Amino acid sequence: MAMTTASEGVAPSAARQRALQRTALWLLAPGVVWMLLFLVLPILMMVYVSFWTQTTFTIEPTLTTKSWVNFFTSETYLGALWTTIRIWLTVLAATIVVGYPTALFVGLFVRNKTLQTVLLVLCVIPFWTSFLIRVLAWRPMLGKEGAINLILQGLGITDAPIEALLFSDLSVVIGMTQIYCVFMVGPIAFMLARIDPNVIEAAQDLGAGFGRIFRTIILPLSMPGVVVGAIFVSVMVLGEFATSAALSGRKVNLLGNIIVTQVGSLKWAFAAVVGVVLTVIMGAVVAALLRVVDLRKEL
Amino acid sequence: MTTVLQLTNVSKSYGPLKALDGVNLAIPGDSYVSLLGPSGSGKTILLRVIAGFEEPDQGTVTFDGRRIDGTPAHRRGIGFVFQNFALFPHLSVTKNISFGLENREGPPLDPRTVRDKVAAVIDLVGLKGLEDRGVTQISGGQRQRVALARTLVTEPRLVLLDEPFGALDANLRMRMRTELRAIRERLGVTFLHVTGSETEALAMGDTVIVLDRGRIGQMDEPDTVYNRPASPAVAKFLNCYNLFEGSLASDAFVSPAGRFPLSASATRRPGGPAYAVRYDRIEVRPAPAETAPDEVAIEGTFVTSEYTGASVLSFFSLADGRVVEVEDHLSHRAPPTYAPQQRYGLVWKRDAALVFA
Repeated sequence: MAMTTASEGVAPSAARQRALQRTALWLLAPGVVWMLLFLVLPILMMVYVSFWTQTTFTIEPTLTTKSWVNFFTSETYLGALWTTIRIWLTVLAATIVVGYPTALFVGLFVRNKTLQTVLLVLCVIPFWTSFLIRVLAWRPMLGKEGAINLILQGLGITDAPIEALLFSDLSVVIGMTQIYCVFMVGPIAFMLARIDPNVIEAAQDLGAGFGRIFRTIILPLSMPGVVVGAIFVSVMVLGEFATSAALSGRKVNLLGNIIVTQVGSLKWAFAAVVGVVLTVIMGAVVAALLRVVDLRKEL
Repeated sequence: MTTVLQLTNVSKSYGPLKALDGVNLAIPGDSYVSLLGPSGSGKTILLRVIAGFEEPDQGTVTFDGRRIDGTPAHRRGIGFVFQNFALFPHLSVTKNISFGLENREGPPLDPRTVRDKVAAVIDLVGLKGLEDRGVTQISGGQRQRVALARTLVTEPRLVLLDEPFGALDANLRMRMRTELRAIRERLGVTFLHVTGSETEALAMGDTVIVLDRGRIGQMDEPDTVYNRPASPAVAKFLNCYNLFEGSLASDAFVSPAGRFPLSASATRRPGGPAYAVRYDRIEVRPAPAETAPDEVAIEGTFVTSEYTGASVLSFFSLADGRVVEVEDHLSHRAPPTYAPQQRYGLVWKRDAALVFA
């Protein structure tokens, strides 16, 4: 008797649960529709258009691989691909070198939560001005008659202005590092702040000096932060065009700049080729970074 | 017995708060010392000063014959077991335990030696079979063992345990008590065990230290602490004394609850004036109680009682609202039955009371 009541009781509740799960799936609907319309469809379009036939003034939906061949045989475009990768790796390294110690200070050595928040907010303050102004503000800093050169000459450290400061790889790297560094600091500081101070004290108590503790405890525990930060920075830097346009004097051409130029001259098929290449690179970079650390364990 | 750790006049303040106030302490080698104190008595700070996580404002700490205040924690060679275990979350059980051997300063140990030592300590604390588990995949009791093993493998002469059973359930706590004492005896090192539980302190310590507002209230063998607490504050932490404040006359203690005649031979301890009677030294009689010449009696109203298995704890309220607790051990008598809101006489022998002048 009791058995039957129990089994009768279970069946409707299991069915109810399944129904509830089905209803819950509808919560995804707006997001799925949005992503299909504005992400998946455009990407498919982009791949499709990259095989269209492009003439000087027109574009026709006749499939051809001409644009692709053109991209991979042109020294200019392969050069831009290489520049993009070089600048990306340099900026990534620079944001880690500048960002990690900052995050270490904020996340580990400042144990007052209020002060921690204040310091992180300070990192975001530059974002209160517009992106273009932040980029362009580097010009009067780095230029031939800019602040840095004037100071160096005034102090007698250099005789002539250093011209390599502006309109070079260096100025692009400096500008990008300043803009994207905070995306590295945030995730790392977050992971570091989660480390239990007792864990570090325990390592100390077991006889390890700071160097050892950093290598064996702090660094491994903060790696998820580094990976998340690297994904943020990589995705943004790989798609960049404004910083290099403003600070390189058109000397540094990234894939992003090429897309802008091609779209400007209505070369849709070619712009689509570059877009596909860029998307594939980003996907590969994110996939590679996710292999470094199992983020599922950290969530 | 040799002294392994000596604290001389150690003080530490946080702003206006004196966390440690002139602590003098000598911890004997090869013994189990428990440090009892209520929360806020400075017991964790004291441990952290010894371990080197905090530096004292004044005073000296001498360990193994050399002065160690000012020495960084990783060069002190004192083990510390944290209340929350503080295991390295990204490392396996074995890697947690071998951490100290592999990462301490100085020439690295031969990997074979490390392996042997780790295997021996895993055997000692009973973690066989869990070597490759992550420390997030084992139970609380097992984590406690890893924390202990990780410290013991570095062979410290002194191990500090900060409320080591705080995160364990009652059942496990009882089992770990005996086990911890057995492990210590096998290794012949000193354990300094901080706890807020008086039963744990009395059960585990060869010596019990009572910490009272940043000072050492008493340091004695467990039964001395229990039967002859050095001050009213110590008596209060032990959670088994009824304390009365008042003033001391020539032949009696005068408290708001009444006048308690003193026996001629009563020793007067410092730290008062206060008068203390243990819960289980009070006898309950119907009011008005008849008393012998060597007895003291007051009257109280029965409020309620609490059954603890081996004994019954009964609460009586006095005229001024103060509550007196009486403990009846059930091995002596049948469970007492008192009528609620009924008045009873509470009687004890004059000699059973402790008087603090």
